[in-house]
Amino acid sequence: MHWRSRVLLLSTAVVLMGLPAAAQTKTWTPPKTPDGQPDLQGTWTNATITPLERPADLAGKEFLTAQEAAEYEKRIGEANNADRRNLPPEADVGLAYNDFWYNRGTKIVGTRRTSLILDPKDGKVPALTPAAQQKQDALRAAARGHASDGPESRALTERCLLWPTAGPPMLPSFYNNNYQIVQSPGYVTILVEMIHDARVVPLDGRPHVSGKVQQWMGDSRGRWEGNTLVVDTTNFTDKTRFRGADEKLHLVEHFTRVDTDTIMYEFTVDDPTAFTRSWTAQVPMRRTASPVYEYACHEGNYAMAGMLAGARADEKAAADAKNGSK
Amino acid sequence: MRTKLAVVMVGLGLVLTAVPVRAHHAFAAEFDAKKPVKLRGTVTKMEWINPHAWIHIDVKGADGTTTSWMVEGGTPNTLFRRGLTKDSLAVGTEIVVDGYQAKDGSNRANGRDITFTDGRKLFLGASSSDAPYAGKDGEK
Repeated sequence: MHWRSRVLLLSTAVVLMGLPAAAQTKTWTPPKTPDGQPDLQGTWTNATITPLERPADLAGKEFLTAQEAAEYEKRIGEANNADRRNLPPEADVGLAYNDFWYNRGTKIVGTRRTSLILDPKDGKVPALTPAAQQKQDALRAAARGHASDGPESRALTERCLLWPTAGPPMLPSFYNNNYQIVQSPGYVTILVEMIHDARVVPLDGRPHVSGKVQQWMGDSRGRWEGNTLVVDTTNFTDKTRFRGADEKLHLVEHFTRVDTDTIMYEFTVDDPTAFTRSWTAQVPMRRTASPVYEYACHEGNYAMAGMLAGARADEKAAADAKNGSK
Repeated sequence: MRTKLAVVMVGLGLVLTAVPVRAHHAFAAEFDAKKPVKLRGTVTKMEWINPHAWIHIDVKGADGTTTSWMVEGGTPNTLFRRGLTKDSLAVGTEIVVDGYQAKDGSNRANGRDITFTDGRKLFLGASSSDAPYAGKDGEK
């Protein structure tokens, strides 16, 4: 090969590596479903150890080098390992169980970005507005000392209602990071393993439901922009409070299949009453051979009774200690 | 004293923030860090249920009496994905559970560390590197 061709190839490669994956897709055309939609079907996983927000020790560093990535993966892998027993009992009990129950992935994202958030550049969820912050503080103050009054006061996850990473928007967690996408004429359905919700997204351009209707997972409407599926979701409830968002949350998700085995998933959170600015994150979803399993969370949730019984036992112990000291 | 307490608090804060959020629910709300237990027992039943699996064991005391315990694990989905089945932990298997007892004093514990009696970890035969999605759990 002539040296000039080599330089050209090399520089093209360098340019391509520097581009966001979505921008590279123009060279790859996804297959189509029988009714002509770009085909996103299959089972996918978004497991990764790249955090949503940039860790403090990586402030100002948007990307890792390959060597830094290997070191980071090793360090986080060790920190995540639930089989270590080097913590005091109060923290050790919180590690819950052996590592073989977890399935959080072992690698950072292919872009080697240090946070899933790509906008703003600091990789952080923007600050809440003063009013939203005030509301959040008031909610926390009201909940203080009442965390175990009854099942309703426990977290939505513990009540098997909704998982903050199951979405929308969909983010990786410590297990069940699996999704199945099914397309039929006029609809895309996304089955989420965590908490087992199926989100049915109509593509026919119908308007959102009335603003008076609020739903745990909002109300999604989809459309194709070229080969990208754009899903617009509104009608959220104030009870989910995704990263501090309220019922005015307007979520826009982009699903672009960039090669046979990857969907690049991006979402933008727009909620002017909650956040001081909008923000965007990018999460690669990789094809997986594994099926999505049922997660019938409510069915065997013995832990709810266990936690409430634990709180009653704590209260009794505190009362006994008080009476005993008189 | 005040300085010492502050140092301890800061140290604890560092340790706690180093622990990522885990599990489907707050294990610290259900189990008592002040009641560590080490149980050696025989599996009588495995409940492969979500959100968390439960292993039932019979523990023989020094006086010859038998006590039944329930031990909490994690989601069975992860294990299914690794090729384990409901037959993977046979009734009669002897195991050792190192965990914490329920706050309400009932015979429930979390399986913070479960091993066979020879020290091998349970379910280790199907480590994540053997999983069908090996190499595909993150990015290329």
